[in-house]
Amino acid sequence: MTLFHFGNCFALAYFPYFITYKCSGLSEYNAFWRCVQAGATYLFVQLCKMLFLATFFPTWEGGAGAYDFVGEFMKATVDLADLVGLHLVMSRNAGKGEYKIMVAAMGWATAELVMSRCIPLWVGARGIEFDWKYIQMSIDSNISLVHYIAMAALVWMFTRYDLPKRYRLPLTLLLGLSVYKAFFMESFVHVFLLGSWTALLVKAVITGFLALSSLGLFVTLVHGN
Amino acid sequence: MLEEAGEVLESVLKASCLPLSFLLFVPAVLLLLGPPPAAEAAHEFTVYRMQQYELGGQPYGTRNAVLNTEARTLEADVLSRRCVMMRLVDFSYEQYQKALRQSAGAVVIILPKAMSALPQDVVRQFMEIEPEMLAMETIVPVYFAVEDEELLSIYEQTRIASTSQGSASAAEVLLHTATANGFQMVTSGAQSKAVSDWLITSLEGRLTGLGGEDLPTIVIVAHYDSFGVAPWLSHGADSNGSGISGLLELARLFSRLYTYKRTHAGYNLLFFASGGGKFNYQGTKRWLEDNLDHTDSSLLQDNVAFVLCLDTLGRGNSLHLHVSKPPKEGTLQHAFLRELEMVVASQFPEVKFSMVHKKINLAEDMLAWEHERFAIRRLPAFTISHLESHRDGLRNSIMDLRSRVDSKTLTRNTRIIAEALTRVIYNLTEKGAPADLQIFTEQMQIQQEQLESVMDWLTSQPRAAQLVDKDSTFLNTLEYYMSRYLKDVKQHHVKADKRDPEFVFYDQLKQVMNAYRVKPAIFDLLLALCIVAYLGVAYVAVQHFGLLYKTVQRLSLKSKQQ
Repeated sequence: MTLFHFGNCFALAYFPYFITYKCSGLSEYNAFWRCVQAGATYLFVQLCKMLFLATFFPTWEGGAGAYDFVGEFMKATVDLADLVGLHLVMSRNAGKGEYKIMVAAMGWATAELVMSRCIPLWVGARGIEFDWKYIQMSIDSNISLVHYIAMAALVWMFTRYDLPKRYRLPLTLLLGLSVYKAFFMESFVHVFLLGSWTALLVKAVITGFLALSSLGLFVTLVHGN
Repeated sequence: MLEEAGEVLESVLKASCLPLSFLLFVPAVLLLLGPPPAAEAAHEFTVYRMQQYELGGQPYGTRNAVLNTEARTLEADVLSRRCVMMRLVDFSYEQYQKALRQSAGAVVIILPKAMSALPQDVVRQFMEIEPEMLAMETIVPVYFAVEDEELLSIYEQTRIASTSQGSASAAEVLLHTATANGFQMVTSGAQSKAVSDWLITSLEGRLTGLGGEDLPTIVIVAHYDSFGVAPWLSHGADSNGSGISGLLELARLFSRLYTYKRTHAGYNLLFFASGGGKFNYQGTKRWLEDNLDHTDSSLLQDNVAFVLCLDTLGRGNSLHLHVSKPPKEGTLQHAFLRELEMVVASQFPEVKFSMVHKKINLAEDMLAWEHERFAIRRLPAFTISHLESHRDGLRNSIMDLRSRVDSKTLTRNTRIIAEALTRVIYNLTEKGAPADLQIFTEQMQIQQEQLESVMDWLTSQPRAAQLVDKDSTFLNTLEYYMSRYLKDVKQHHVKADKRDPEFVFYDQLKQVMNAYRVKPAIFDLLLALCIVAYLGVAYVAVQHFGLLYKTVQRLSLKSKQQ
């Protein structure tokens, strides 16, 4: 397609980040460099994950089309490192809970957006061939922004010293869901042979559920005590 | 660590650390400035371009090879600067002309996978169209593609899009742009250009007769090249695979006869597989010039009994001896004619044999039959063929496939020629041999399997003159095959004159075409509107996030109070 199409995809992918940054008040806290640092942590964590994966999970050359559930599960487990990374970012920043969560999540999600979607969009959406997948990719980046905010909130709550006992179980469950979401999605798509649009919808629904639950917990935790 | 990273980034942005910023920005700049990348294609397929050549200064076929336009079918209203896709099954010359008159950007003709299963009337019709397509001045590229499932689906989608275009309302068109696909057809190759110094190769081999220096020579000639509207699709089974396989079989039989002293006849046999036969017999022409004008001694100069050209022998129940001058009585030429008639009448009564007399028309661009090349040089010559007229479309068609040659008929025709030739060489009739004497039986049988396998080999590759390189495996194999039976097998090359070339070939005859899925510009605009609306909603939602927060807070408090 054309440069115009790339512009479309780019706007769809990036503007929600921009809007969130501006409207959440982060810009007023002068949090830009904090976000960049969070992004740098993202890079570092991804590098560690990659090294780990390359060392312990050499590529499965299982038969074409075969889906290796155990292998994928193990790989998803490595994503636990993301939680550690988010915690690291938040523990380095002083401030209110919301502020810490937003800085970590924004930096994290933006770094992911830049690293994993920028080049495919530039290369793909500008080519002659039209494909819906670039629009889907852009929508997906919006979903992942919500996902990371929820995840950061969960990590923040989980690592509080004054966390009441009864919160521990739902928090663990939600954290588990957030880490293994990608794995669940992939298995789901594979088992039910979903189309790309349906898969995106399912992903949005799951992320919405995750985000609302985290919000509920956050609200009760912050205002309940 | 984080502080360090922050510092590094800061320093990069302040450009105080030049090499590092260079490292960071140069790839980014390169990426930005690079050309739009060719993404993975929706479908990639091989296309064969229509002929492009010049013969005697006259251009034929298409003049162009580059294609980058959107696909349409004939149903669309506007075809100008579009790539028109057609299927051979419903192809007609009128439609083809219509497309070109509307200044279509290109034409892609989709051939069915099983060409031999096509109905006869379609084949006949297309054979007649082919020369007209070539003669017509075509500036835009014309390509042929062999259909597969993907290509058919592209064709169907294009057809649906083309039909719905004219009648639908604006809303329908808008909806349509979002759901339907357009296809951008792009060829990967460069513009076609003339091939310089192309060599047309011919092969010669001989069997020397027994006794004396000045023996009469019988020349047996067949051209090996094939011709059709697209060079890569011309397999030329009947024309002239059948002629070459007949020639090779004759070479085999007579080489056996010539190894024994008792059957070693007093005739030299000269075999010639000529190249460029479809381009006014260029190979033959040069061969004659070389032999008659430039050398002192050659078999062709001294005592040529007659020249027998083999052309299209693989079908039908008739045989025609084409001559440009009826042979006079008492000549060997006449004797051969008599023998042919006798053999056919006594041994193969089902075959209709006749002599066709056609004077050479020097005013025409193309010579009709190969023997005319010899007749011009005053050598007694004739062509034997099952076709009655040289204008038959079969001689220049991509429809001339292996399945159109009947091995039995080819064997029978080869046998008739071999029998008649033997009767002339050994003078059997004058020696009192009966008319129904069968010479080629038992060990000397014409081997149908041999002819079949030679035919299979010949038709397994396109043998258009533009494709048969002088070092090609095809020529090497043919040379090897001839040298198994014949002596002094050698190549003759023709190169077109630099200043005033008699023939010019062009390249880019086979290309890879990509069909990219594309959307019209209006679709992008529509998409932009949708995205703006979405972003507006997102903005409002983020601005009023407090509402959601409060609602959740109220709900949680309520549940706590309960």
